[in-house]
Amino acid sequence: MIWQQLQSIAGSYPLALRGLGMTVMLSLISLVLGTLIGFGLGILRTGGNRLISSVIGAWVDLIRGTPFLVQIFLIFFILPELGIELDAFTAGIIALTNLAACFICEIVVAGIRSVPTGQVEAALASGLSRWHRMRQVVLPQAMRIVLPPLVGQYVLLIKDSSVVSAIGLTDLTRVGWLVVQRVPNGLLVFFLVGLGYFIVCYPLILLARRLEQRMGAAHGEVQL
Amino acid sequence: MTSNRSKNGTGMIEFRGVNKWFGALNVLKDITLSVEPREVVVVCGPSGSGKSTLIRCINGLETIRDGDLVVDGQRLGDPATNMTRLRTEIGFVFQSFNLYPHKTALENVTLAPIHVRKIPRAEAEKAGRELLAKVGLADKVNAYPAQLSGGQQQRVAIARCLGMRPKIMLFDEPTSALDPEMISEVLDVMVAVAEEGMTMMVVTHEMGFARKVAQRVVFMDAGAIVESGTPDEFFSHPKTDRSRAFLSKILRH
Repeated sequence: MIWQQLQSIAGSYPLALRGLGMTVMLSLISLVLGTLIGFGLGILRTGGNRLISSVIGAWVDLIRGTPFLVQIFLIFFILPELGIELDAFTAGIIALTNLAACFICEIVVAGIRSVPTGQVEAALASGLSRWHRMRQVVLPQAMRIVLPPLVGQYVLLIKDSSVVSAIGLTDLTRVGWLVVQRVPNGLLVFFLVGLGYFIVCYPLILLARRLEQRMGAAHGEVQL
Repeated sequence: MTSNRSKNGTGMIEFRGVNKWFGALNVLKDITLSVEPREVVVVCGPSGSGKSTLIRCINGLETIRDGDLVVDGQRLGDPATNMTRLRTEIGFVFQSFNLYPHKTALENVTLAPIHVRKIPRAEAEKAGRELLAKVGLADKVNAYPAQLSGGQQQRVAIARCLGMRPKIMLFDEPTSALDPEMISEVLDVMVAVAEEGMTMMVVTHEMGFARKVAQRVVFMDAGAIVESGTPDEFFSHPKTDRSRAFLSKILRH
């Protein structure tokens, strides 16, 4: 019986590939956008303008303090009420990008704050502009702290993307729901769905671990 | 008006009635001091006396509450004064070196010339190599700070300042974080800089250095300038009880 079910599942591989493609696409786009926006927010938040900093802080807290499923529903169902029509894909991208940006902002802030003040003072004293201080002195040093948790955040993002199936996007999780209606073996189907996510995430997990080890070693080297 | 007068005056650095508070603590009390071009002034005094704060005000790492501070003819805190540009004329050497750990010695020296002075990279690197050779580190051009001793790091830090061809050099206890055997290599470089006619303010307790190159020693205590005179006057005939007490402590060993 298992064999028949497996054959039946194998028959729906085009659907599974489409779902995997959707999951990767959603994750990749929101990962790139979220990283850019997250770095921007992190830099702004440490930029010294108190108003901007507290507005960003409040938004990040709000997003971190509410379930992602609720955020997606708000974006997908509430925004059209306000006259902003969104298709499910755009809504998913917006929700995921926003989530990623908020978490990455926190990671970037922690990285920037880990750079000793003496470094900023040295850069100030030599007349470097704000942009060059950030680009040449602060960010390269912050990256050592930022990189390992950043890659870890990407893994979380890929997994969180499964929530977008709730608004009807045919990602890997939703493919699971569709297949299980034909093949009544939830354990088998969702085992395979889980395997799909794991195959995408595992290289990133390995990368995060390697980065962490490398940064740890390098950190010991640089201690003054 | 103030800035006009100072342009006509000779002071490269002029404090007039400068006060600064950290909360309720009056860390600089009514400071009046003028440093002439090419003059070397050593600032000394017990810890917490405001020496570091004094020179950190000059390049705007600290801000003053009242009084006038005019540097190279520009009044600090004046909207017309471009602080970033003024800082390019002022080299600052830190007690803890503050070299950029992710950049090589040469990159540390060329960073500001390339990005602030907009000097072409090849030219900046040539000048950087010459400066590192001048501070005795021709063979460490490609070393990272972590691969250098404290004395070597501080010499790179001095070369980094010189790379901007500043008009003024400020030193904040440049040898205090060094092992004793490395102090003289740094002082030698500072003497060479002084002998080239640099305007310098040096916070230090290195009395040998003060005697050799300083025109003036300023003694601070509790945020105020207590005494000021030539090194000879100050070390041989301190005028106040506080300076005598201080000198007996640092000269005891």
